[in-house]
Amino acid sequence: MKNREVLDIAIRAGEILLRNGAEIYRVEDTIVRICKSYGVACEAFVLPTGMFITAFGANDEDISIVRRIKERMVNLYKVELINSFSRRIEKEPLSHRDAKLELDEISNSPRHSFLLRLASAAIISFAYTILFKGTYIEGGFAFAIGAMIYLLKETVSKIGFFQFFDTFISGMLAAGLSLVVNRYFPHADIYKIIIGSIMILLPGVAITNAIKDALHGDIASSVFRLSEALYVATAVGAGVGVVLSLSLR
Amino acid sequence: MKAIIMAFLGSVFPAVLFNVKRSSLVWVGICGTLGYTTYYLTEKITGKITFATFIGALIVGVFSEGTARILKIPATIFSVSGSTPLVPGIAAYTTIQYVVENKLSNAASKGIETLSSALAIAFGIMLASAIFRVVSKIRLKYTVKHK
Repeated sequence: MKNREVLDIAIRAGEILLRNGAEIYRVEDTIVRICKSYGVACEAFVLPTGMFITAFGANDEDISIVRRIKERMVNLYKVELINSFSRRIEKEPLSHRDAKLELDEISNSPRHSFLLRLASAAIISFAYTILFKGTYIEGGFAFAIGAMIYLLKETVSKIGFFQFFDTFISGMLAAGLSLVVNRYFPHADIYKIIIGSIMILLPGVAITNAIKDALHGDIASSVFRLSEALYVATAVGAGVGVVLSLSLR
Repeated sequence: MKAIIMAFLGSVFPAVLFNVKRSSLVWVGICGTLGYTTYYLTEKITGKITFATFIGALIVGVFSEGTARILKIPATIFSVSGSTPLVPGIAAYTTIQYVVENKLSNAASKGIETLSSALAIAFGIMLASAIFRVVSKIRLKYTVKHK
């Protein structure tokens, strides 16, 4: 196989990993491993927003590819599939066509159905309201609000105004609905309902992943992820804060 | 008991949003439940939140590395969703909330709590994976010697 084709497969696999929430070290490792199993020496440098790969060929024919990544989400199933793909390729290298077909299949692999995701968002809100010492009634309200927030977030992020806009507006919705609940059921604590229902928006995993990147030595992407988490938390907090401070007057 | 069930729900359903496949979901749930229970008990006994988070994350890490080796799936799949009940999302939000309410010293203390919990979780999970790597290396050396 030609160097360019090897690099093509490696960067496709890397792109799928990076788009779906794999750690930086795993992306670099996978790219180098795939190139190595075809007998190509290469160097990979990966940031959360893009990748740079160079393959060293014979007769000074080095090839480099830069790939910019704009959208990121978490889809651990694809990470798992790519991981087993790269391990398989290490044992017996596939042809360029077969590998490409397989990667296409992985990148089109289905997600859980929308209804199931909606239900999960609602149950997460319920569970965390109870976990933060709310009553079952507050949990029930959080359940409904959490579902609505997920619905809103999915629609808004499809339209896509600017980054973090969907989290901001979801925070506003959470605070607004909790205020409505509180007006008719004064015993329900606003704070606990809000906390449960915004749980799906919050960047807890991002903060932890940022530190994990730092412990692997990828300081640049660790700073990137930390500030991304800060922006998300700020967007949620600002959304909630705007509505709550307006209501106090 | 109520908290344990909620921790189970609170780690399985984030895993659904992260698109973990169905057959692994139960293991993620057990992982999250064990981690949270350890955290809860340690916090009750010692009263130190960060330390308790560290111990909880260590258990999550050990469990996910073990399951990953049995099921042949990357350990991250379990540890990312399994650590959700420990992860300081709410603390991060509360920090911003304090800033909005102009309670800056509260915000500072909550912010430090957020960062130190995140550090504790990352260190716990990484320590577990380091232990597993060292053990498997030693085992490899041992088997090579005795062949």
